Amino acid sequence: MRSRNLSRLAGALALAGAMGAAAQSGADLAPLPEPKFNKDQAELGRYLFFDVRLSGDAALSCASCHDPKKGWTDGQPLGKGYPASEGFRNTPTILNAGFKRRFMWDGRLDGSDMGTLVRDMITEAHTMNMDSRLMQERLKQVPEYVAMWQKFRKDDINGMRVYGVVGEFVKSVVSKNAPIDRFLNGDASALSEGARQGYALFKGKANCASCHNGPLGSDGNLHRTGVPENPGVTADPLRHITMLRHYSTSGMPNYMNAFEDVGSYAITKNDKDKGKFATPSLRDLKYTAPYMHNGVFATLGEVVQFYDLGGGPGSELKKLGLSAGEKRALVAFLESLSGDPVIVDAPKSPAYQVRAFGKN
Amino acid sequence: MQADKLSIRTGVAVVAALFTATLTVDAVAQAGRATAKRAEQKPAAAQKAAIPPLGPLPPVPVPADNPMSPEKVELGKMLFFDSRLGGDASSPCVVCHQPGKGWGDGDEISRGYPGTQHWRNSQTVLNSAYYNKLFWEGSVTSLEGQAPAAAEGNVAGNGDPSLMEMRLRFIPEYVAAFRKVFGIEQPRMTQAYQAIAAFQRTLVSDAKQVPFDRYAMGDGKALNESQMRGMQLYNGKAGCILCHNGPLASDQKFHALGVPDNEAFKTSPLAQITHRWQQYQKGVPEANYRDAPLDRGLYYVTKNPKDIGKFRTPSLRELKYTAPYMHTGVFYTLEEVVDFYDRGGGDTPNKSPLVKPLALSAQEKKDLAAFLEALSMDKPLLMDAPPLPAYQPLRR
Repeated sequence: MRSRNLSRLAGALALAGAMGAAAQSGADLAPLPEPKFNKDQAELGRYLFFDVRLSGDAALSCASCHDPKKGWTDGQPLGKGYPASEGFRNTPTILNAGFKRRFMWDGRLDGSDMGTLVRDMITEAHTMNMDSRLMQERLKQVPEYVAMWQKFRKDDINGMRVYGVVGEFVKSVVSKNAPIDRFLNGDASALSEGARQGYALFKGKANCASCHNGPLGSDGNLHRTGVPENPGVTADPLRHITMLRHYSTSGMPNYMNAFEDVGSYAITKNDKDKGKFATPSLRDLKYTAPYMHNGVFATLGEVVQFYDLGGGPGSELKKLGLSAGEKRALVAFLESLSGDPVIVDAPKSPAYQVRAFGKN
Repeated sequence: MQADKLSIRTGVAVVAALFTATLTVDAVAQAGRATAKRAEQKPAAAQKAAIPPLGPLPPVPVPADNPMSPEKVELGKMLFFDSRLGGDASSPCVVCHQPGKGWGDGDEISRGYPGTQHWRNSQTVLNSAYYNKLFWEGSVTSLEGQAPAAAEGNVAGNGDPSLMEMRLRFIPEYVAAFRKVFGIEQPRMTQAYQAIAAFQRTLVSDAKQVPFDRYAMGDGKALNESQMRGMQLYNGKAGCILCHNGPLASDQKFHALGVPDNEAFKTSPLAQITHRWQQYQKGVPEANYRDAPLDRGLYYVTKNPKDIGKFRTPSLRELKYTAPYMHTGVFYTLEEVVDFYDRGGGDTPNKSPLVKPLALSAQEKKDLAAFLEALSMDKPLLMDAPPLPAYQPLRR
């Protein structure tokens, strides 16, 4: 199922450059597949996801920025970082992240390797600033965690494997009962008249589906749409510091003079990638405002308006010429891609216990 | 007795080298090795006679690649106090090295980074300029090497160097200062640590304020009678001088004394976490990680079992302001410390033969403690935090 979608969208991508505004790629959405994850690991991962002791100064857990009550994001235009830092991009939801082809707004991480994504978030200085070895020793100090670990492995809690365990929990966080899935599975009544009209525009005149396709509504690829810069990044030294340090540690040339977010270019150093960002999923948009890689749009109406104008400077897109009614229909359809709220209650983190000294 | 001679002769070489103020750290080490070789041919008596006496501190040694300047010291002082050097802006150098607490942190084992607990006593920065090896296990050889280990260490500052460096670049006053002091376009961490080291080289005892130094410089009344008797014991019956010798009152060598471990290792989850983490990140064999019942000290550097439990001799200067004592912070008073040595130290496999029961009388112990206090300044070296410049948006 997945690979078929992938090859289909790869073909769509090859075509995308050559196609006009009204062209139809033939790409379409698809129902969300069943998630695959290890249940025992996901159960420990759920505890760890909500445990602040996974951050350097025990101030933040994964859930601090990926809050279930805020669509598994932080609800801010730009992410809040580790204490004394601030982020320079929007915090993406982790809902359905297990189905992604690439991770991060600049697409720098492989979607098949959730453990590395978790590792980067936990060890990165401006997110959780944790040392893997110290994290391992902290977790070994919690008997409940040791017992849960031994349900799936007979060895000690191991720093590098912990990331995969958190990843198994992330894979389990999937949206359910989205009208679009019911519709695609044969229930025509699942979409309103307006949403059905929006769906036709999505695949047709508005051409959204050329990039927003497959189960997630994302081709998993990088595109330049000319999203306006968020002025909050360079106005706030803490955010600009984080951005330039990301560029510096990525080996980007001339990083001290960067006043715009160059996106994928920082990773590839290929001029053609300047301003390119990964296509985000369109699922659960209802819960994940504000939108775009830098949170500049507060509503889906603004997003649709942006695309109607063909995006911003340097955009790969063309103007759409949508009527007000068409825009409304498109928004109605986009909302039908949201499932029921996925709420996971934060478990109470079990306390550290004293161990027998010298028996490690 | 062989160990006795060995430690003395190397101590001589090291302390003698300290008097040559401009020698680099490498040169000190080389001189130490060369002198030790020569000493092997000398008769034991000659070596014993050559134990360097206590005395006023010489000028601070300055490495050739980090010369002092007032501007550099001023920059280093600001950085020492600046919480932006550290992970979450809670743990600048000064937090564990507080002027009001003798430039230590006053705890038995250091507070450590939030969410953690350190595992050893935070040492005073005062006179640290004279050490050729720093940290209790001597793992670095210069102040320039000590600063990053502390600012970036996960249970200390937990700062990422590339992030801290970028923070400095958003503070125009620092950018200007790094340009002026180092001639570099943008602040870099190497230079930040050099500036901090330069500042620390100014944090030294003022001989005019130290009773013992005044005495050594000719003021016969600087020590009272009890202190004079204590000095006799120090250099004689109590044998302190065997390790605590030279102007710094440290041979800068490693000795196992059997100092009791801090109870926290048995009772505090955070201390246990750090203790295991240290075994892990210092790279001991797995078996040693699993059965680690103690702080192995110098062993973490050499991985030589004969070095288990050895720690570098600390200076005895400014003791009045730096309680609690020892690498575990288990003794709160000098009297407890003197009692410990009077008992002949504690149990430990590689125990130094220099430490044995002393049979001091109650009066002798008092006299010895009185003398030890005479190695501290009359008043503590206090310092207010300097005003720190703010972040500014970067100008295009």
